[in-house]
Amino acid sequence: MLTFERYEMPATLPEALALWAEAPAGARLVAGATDILPWAREGRAGDVDLPLGIDLSRVAELRGYERHGARVRLGANTVWQDFLDDPRLARWLPVMPYCSVWFADDQIRQQATLAGNLVNASPAADGTPPVLALNGELELCRWAGDHIMCRTMRVEDFVTGPGATRLAPGEIVNSVTLDIAEGYGASFQKAGLRRSLVISVACVAALVKLDETGTRFADVRLALGGVGPVPERLRDIEDRLRGAAVDARLIAEVAEATASRVASRSRVDYRRRVVPGFVRAALEEAADRARVAPSAAERKEAENA
Amino acid sequence: MPEMKLEMQVNGRKVMRLADPGQRLLDFLRDELNLTGTKEGCGAGECGTCSVFVDGKLVKSCLMPVAKAQGAEIQTVEGLAKPGELEAIQKAFHKTGASQCGYCIPGMVMAATSVLREAPEASLDEIKERMGGNICRCTGYSKIIEAVALARDVVTGRASPAVLEPETVGESYIGHNVRRLDAPSKVTGRLKYAGDMVMPDMAHMAVLRSPHAHAEIVSIDTSEAEAMAGVACVITAADVPGTDGFGVFVHDQPVMARGKVRHVGEAVAAVAAEDAATARRALTKIKVEYRDLPGLFDPEDALKPGAPVIHDYAPDNMVKHIPIRKGDIEAGFAAADLILEEAFSTQQVEHAYLEPEAGIAYVDHDDVVTVISPSQNITHHRHMLAGILALPINKVRFIMSPVGGGFGGKEDMIYQGMLALAAMKTHRPVRLVFTREESIAASAKRHPSRVTYRMGLTRDGRITAIRFEMLSDGGAYGMSSEGVMRKAAILSCGPYEIENLWIDTRAVYTNNTPSGAFRTFGGMQAQFATESMMDIAAERLGLDPFEIRRRNMMRAGSLTHTQQRLTSASIDRVLEAAEQASRWEPGAPTMRGPMRGDLGGPGTRAPCTLGARFETPKDSKERVA
Ligand code: FES
Ligand code: FES
Repeated sequence: MLTFERYEMPATLPEALALWAEAPAGARLVAGATDILPWAREGRAGDVDLPLGIDLSRVAELRGYERHGARVRLGANTVWQDFLDDPRLARWLPVMPYCSVWFADDQIRQQATLAGNLVNASPAADGTPPVLALNGELELCRWAGDHIMCRTMRVEDFVTGPGATRLAPGEIVNSVTLDIAEGYGASFQKAGLRRSLVISVACVAALVKLDETGTRFADVRLALGGVGPVPERLRDIEDRLRGAAVDARLIAEVAEATASRVASRSRVDYRRRVVPGFVRAALEEAADRARVAPSAAERKEAENA
Repeated sequence: MPEMKLEMQVNGRKVMRLADPGQRLLDFLRDELNLTGTKEGCGAGECGTCSVFVDGKLVKSCLMPVAKAQGAEIQTVEGLAKPGELEAIQKAFHKTGASQCGYCIPGMVMAATSVLREAPEASLDEIKERMGGNICRCTGYSKIIEAVALARDVVTGRASPAVLEPETVGESYIGHNVRRLDAPSKVTGRLKYAGDMVMPDMAHMAVLRSPHAHAEIVSIDTSEAEAMAGVACVITAADVPGTDGFGVFVHDQPVMARGKVRHVGEAVAAVAAEDAATARRALTKIKVEYRDLPGLFDPEDALKPGAPVIHDYAPDNMVKHIPIRKGDIEAGFAAADLILEEAFSTQQVEHAYLEPEAGIAYVDHDDVVTVISPSQNITHHRHMLAGILALPINKVRFIMSPVGGGFGGKEDMIYQGMLALAAMKTHRPVRLVFTREESIAASAKRHPSRVTYRMGLTRDGRITAIRFEMLSDGGAYGMSSEGVMRKAAILSCGPYEIENLWIDTRAVYTNNTPSGAFRTFGGMQAQFATESMMDIAAERLGLDPFEIRRRNMMRAGSLTHTQQRLTSASIDRVLEAAEQASRWEPGAPTMRGPMRGDLGGPGTRAPCTLGARFETPKDSKERVA
């Protein structure tokens, strides 16, 4: 059971940061709340009485998203369901809907935020691999007495271990910026104990862009989750495939080598068997989808027609 | 506790309350507004029974601090239809028989409503996918999915609303779709389960549970808890006035641990207080001094000479041994062409009924101690409680509240005694609602069992003898173990006529969570072994698995394992129906390769995946991805 001695709902970022800067020890930020409430139960933290909860859901600056060239900056309150419900986000970030549909369930996705999932830094988080694949970057802000100070950090550097990040005291995640990958084909593969409501035993996010002939990899993004202390980008495979002809044998060969990436402490044999299959399936599926994904130019044409 | 002025629109009405902003929306709806159609099945986001609409979006109210709903429009199951009316989706649940215990149903109706609003053209796969956040333990889901599809067809105009009306029944009900009388109360959320009931001046109970598997209780000091503001009473085994002990067969379990604890999660003391939070806080003030005792965690160890003794009355740790002997197994094995020996084990299983244990007790004006709870065995409970309370039977009353799923797990009187004691001590109504974790820790489980099997067969597949030995982990208390061992023994060798058999089923005490009644009552563990043996035998003898069963099946006139003469038997028809339904291709298991035509066809389950919503053809809403 979770109780708060004080519960604040700041409406602006300066208010939230000022509250957080002054917060007593043990205070917690509350984003979607879908993890903190189950955390305060028997078997995990037990009954917890927190001196202060700072609820970020009404902070205006954390809402919405905007495009900056080839990147999109998502406010920290972007929830997982947005990637399924907002056709523009789905088009720009084609891997996100496929990940999202595996994320918790329809109800929880309405509340659970992208930023919250990254900050929780579970090694098995569904959300981190696709964000890595999209070169995700966080904006971390804090209150410096009379103004806001922000710094940016790659998600790859931000997550340092299970539940551990480089978030400094007083900092709040303000936004998540991702590559726009319109025209890429995408895939997300996941094994969990059941379909809904489980974290990944292993997951793979893949994005593939084909050259104009549709036969060669123009770009490949691949990231793995659930198989080590932190999710990782598979850059060696990406480099190997970039420019190569799309070929089932080559895909199978690079996939086979991924078994050795499994560095988990449990169910290692199982994960070693699953991961190569997932990598292969993800690359093949993403390539197939890339063949039918309209490029931005084609889409414009269609829209103008 | 902080307070905030909370204003929202709930089911179309403006609501304003001064309340704790950090409490869950679920608690606000249930406790402040009495909207108990929204249930708490888990409190951890896993089950969906708490689903409500907040500004048109379906969320799990156990995961939402109420402050997040400030100014929002909330819709709960009570707000779907006008009083006395049902929405199409509710009528469809009624029509298809989609509600059983009903505890998951308000949440299911809400999730289904969300499907029809968000994706009115959803395919069956998409319906399943979108309802993945909701658990039902009774229906097996197919009736629920059927109901959603039916409502979808009506809502989209593909079917006439008449399909939602009851079927006309002629001379006989048999062969007709007869609607359940209690379904409307379930699909509207109006049915009150014990945890939904409130009484004036009611106190709330919380239970202190043992962290040890086997330990002597040296002392319990409740004084600090008792002195706390808001605490109405603290009870321990010392408050029991009569003969302490309950159980389905042997009364070996005290209302609360007496002298020692025998499993992790056993009740040691209980507090009744103004609210559940105060009661839980008071638990932390109770000081219990334990002295660890050597524990037993494996049933084999329980039988070893010199093993720790868990109950004084049973120095051999035996809860029950059921032997059955028939014919002459030595002769039977001697006549066999093939002897198979295998061992099988099955695990502990939790019932996980969606309604956690709950109850409310009070002492009425005539001093009748009354307990309302979803007990699956109220008459027996009443008799046992009268003895425990040292009251004549007419001063103890049990009222059975709707059971939100039992499956055998609510046959044991594991909390009703504590409620009665607290009500007697305070003369106030006292309510206890288990958390999901508590329910899992304290309630009985399916027996983990090990079966050692020896089967003799002739070359043509006739069984000549069976030796069947089952050892089951009964856990810390007897509960239904005796009955489960009887049933396991009676059903052990399956629906086959065996001339020579030797059966032993045993349940022993350990310091694990007690085992008790669970659907099939021991039959499952035994059948898993027997049917596996039949398949292994078919493979070894090169026989069709149906055929080997037919050669051994019981018929009218057969003598059962316990030597009753059967006047009828239906296994032949069961086999025939199963063979047809599975489109079985005859042949020995070894003769048929991966190209079997009877796999992967209609009626077999496709691999579990997600993404159906990406495939649905475009409708009024733009599809993404
Ligand atoms: S999901 Fe909220 S009570 Fe189970
Ligand atoms: S009817 Fe669904 S849990 Fe009982």
